[in-house]
Amino acid sequence: MKMVRLDKQKFNDFIRELSVEYSVYAPGKVSGKTGFIPVESGDEIDFTSTVTDMSAKSIFFPHSEVLFEYDEDGIRAAQTSHRPIAVWGMRSCDARSLVMLDRVFGSAVQMPEDEKFQDPYWKEKYNTSLIFGCACNEPLSTCFCNWFGGGPYNNDGMDVSVVDAGDVYLMEPVSEKGTDIIGKLSCYKDAAEEDKALAAKLASDADSMMIAPPDTDGLGERLTALFDEAVWEEISAKCVNCGACTFSCPTCHCFDMQDEGKGSRGKRVRIWDSCMFPIFTMEASGHNPRALSSARVRQRVMHKYSYYPENYGETLCTGCGRCVMVCPVNLDIREVLKRINVYNEQEK
Amino acid sequence: MANSYIPLQMKVQRIEAEDPDRTLRTYDLTFVNESEKEAFKYLPGQFCEISILGKGESPFGIASSPTEPDYLRFTVNRTGSVTSDIHYLRNGDIVGMRGPLGNWYPVDDMKGMNVLIVGGGFAFTTLRSLLIYLLDSRDDYKDITVIYGARNPDLFIYKDEIAIWKQRDDIQFHLTIDKPVDGWNEKTGFVPTVTQEVAPSPEDTLAIVCGPPVMIKYTLPVLTELGFPDERIFTSLERRMKCGIGKCGRCNIGSKYICIDGPVFSMAELKNIPEAF
Repeated sequence: MKMVRLDKQKFNDFIRELSVEYSVYAPGKVSGKTGFIPVESGDEIDFTSTVTDMSAKSIFFPHSEVLFEYDEDGIRAAQTSHRPIAVWGMRSCDARSLVMLDRVFGSAVQMPEDEKFQDPYWKEKYNTSLIFGCACNEPLSTCFCNWFGGGPYNNDGMDVSVVDAGDVYLMEPVSEKGTDIIGKLSCYKDAAEEDKALAAKLASDADSMMIAPPDTDGLGERLTALFDEAVWEEISAKCVNCGACTFSCPTCHCFDMQDEGKGSRGKRVRIWDSCMFPIFTMEASGHNPRALSSARVRQRVMHKYSYYPENYGETLCTGCGRCVMVCPVNLDIREVLKRINVYNEQEK
Repeated sequence: MANSYIPLQMKVQRIEAEDPDRTLRTYDLTFVNESEKEAFKYLPGQFCEISILGKGESPFGIASSPTEPDYLRFTVNRTGSVTSDIHYLRNGDIVGMRGPLGNWYPVDDMKGMNVLIVGGGFAFTTLRSLLIYLLDSRDDYKDITVIYGARNPDLFIYKDEIAIWKQRDDIQFHLTIDKPVDGWNEKTGFVPTVTQEVAPSPEDTLAIVCGPPVMIKYTLPVLTELGFPDERIFTSLERRMKCGIGKCGRCNIGSKYICIDGPVFSMAELKNIPEAF
């Protein structure tokens, strides 16, 4: 497809043009941390992070979101339609995570066409969105996107791929929506042959920086076979169930629904929740089917690498490495998966 | 587009205490909006999320049968904050309801078959729905056997109906309590033991089991031992379900979500699902 080049000096013009039709989101600072925020000009964008502290899921599945409001006159659904959202600077790990989440929120594996199982709050935002990627020229030591079908230059889930090539951004449409927007905007030029060669070189350099993945073939089946094994107690021994991994994860999507109100007025809000918390499955009777930390850690690992793949043929992990970075006790998911590999072969 | 998170409004039409302590109360709810009533189609085994606005939602199995079109019935054990608020409701009060959610007992497969219903405690709700449903087309099914256990005689729900069912000659109805008490003329002992004693032949018989997790756990092997094949044993599971449409993740076990793949599962399905009980 046609590659174009955007001079970085014209970046603000680009954001301005994009803002005519879209609410633009990009990496920025929120309370000292990086995450995706609404921006009006390039000056608000943080270009320094490879992986933002918080993932891009919050754009489409916010930490808290009003589902409906109620008062004496009844219940009113919160508005689900929005001005379309364009995102600048999304890394491949986050763009892929949205494809994974869309399978859950956009439908249900059993009844994909039934509207009853489609989440209107997610769909209205995600379906009209436009995603500009940002290829990773310098992957971090925590990055493992290449373990599960991704890579620093992977384009899954993007509408336009973007390569930072020094003074210019090289952009290439990936989807039909991407082709449309490249055709509409005016602030760039066609890329030259040298640009294409440079992008290709940067991509192969980035790929060569990734650590070779372990053998993950049959991981789901291995996990299933180890379900009742003591390996989970060993793996979870140092976990403090803080939930930082689930909140920073671009694919974790469990939520709670809570009412906030006084008297006859109020609202119902959904809020990110975590399978790491004992109360997550605690029933009013006091019965808790997942009372042990080992069972909760196992649930998180099984859901990502066994249950979700069984339903959708792909892991629910994009290898962004955030859980590795934020874990207060250095519980490294990569080590967990390697342990599962070895345990299966030597001890079972 | 459709929005499954928005509750429908229901009016409390009848409230009845089921036990002397009044911790178990039955509520008949009617639709405020007639068109919503017409659109609401369900089968025995399905559940709803009942909302007390400002407090929250909890899942409850539907205790009425679709053959009783005038109301939706729920029996609520007062145990947490939402159920306490439900217990404060009075006739005429409005509550929120989302549903019907989940799948149902295999009523079509029961046609021409014997049916064994095994229940425990206040989980008899969806089993009442099933029993009423079967009795309303009694000729479609062969023998119907019910085994219903509770800790003590006070804790059976729907006592008036049980008295009627026990007198019918087209149902075998067995009641059992955990420990003997004075004046109790029915069976004594745990549900699995009684099931072993009185269950009908597994031939042409479908078994439905619903009760507290520990009862289900020990009753299923008894049925297997009696010769029931895994494909003809069904049970209903529960978790702290919130969204009811397979998104929020609370009821995920194995690759299934109890709220959409269940709550009804066959024993054959459960063999491939970890953490069921």
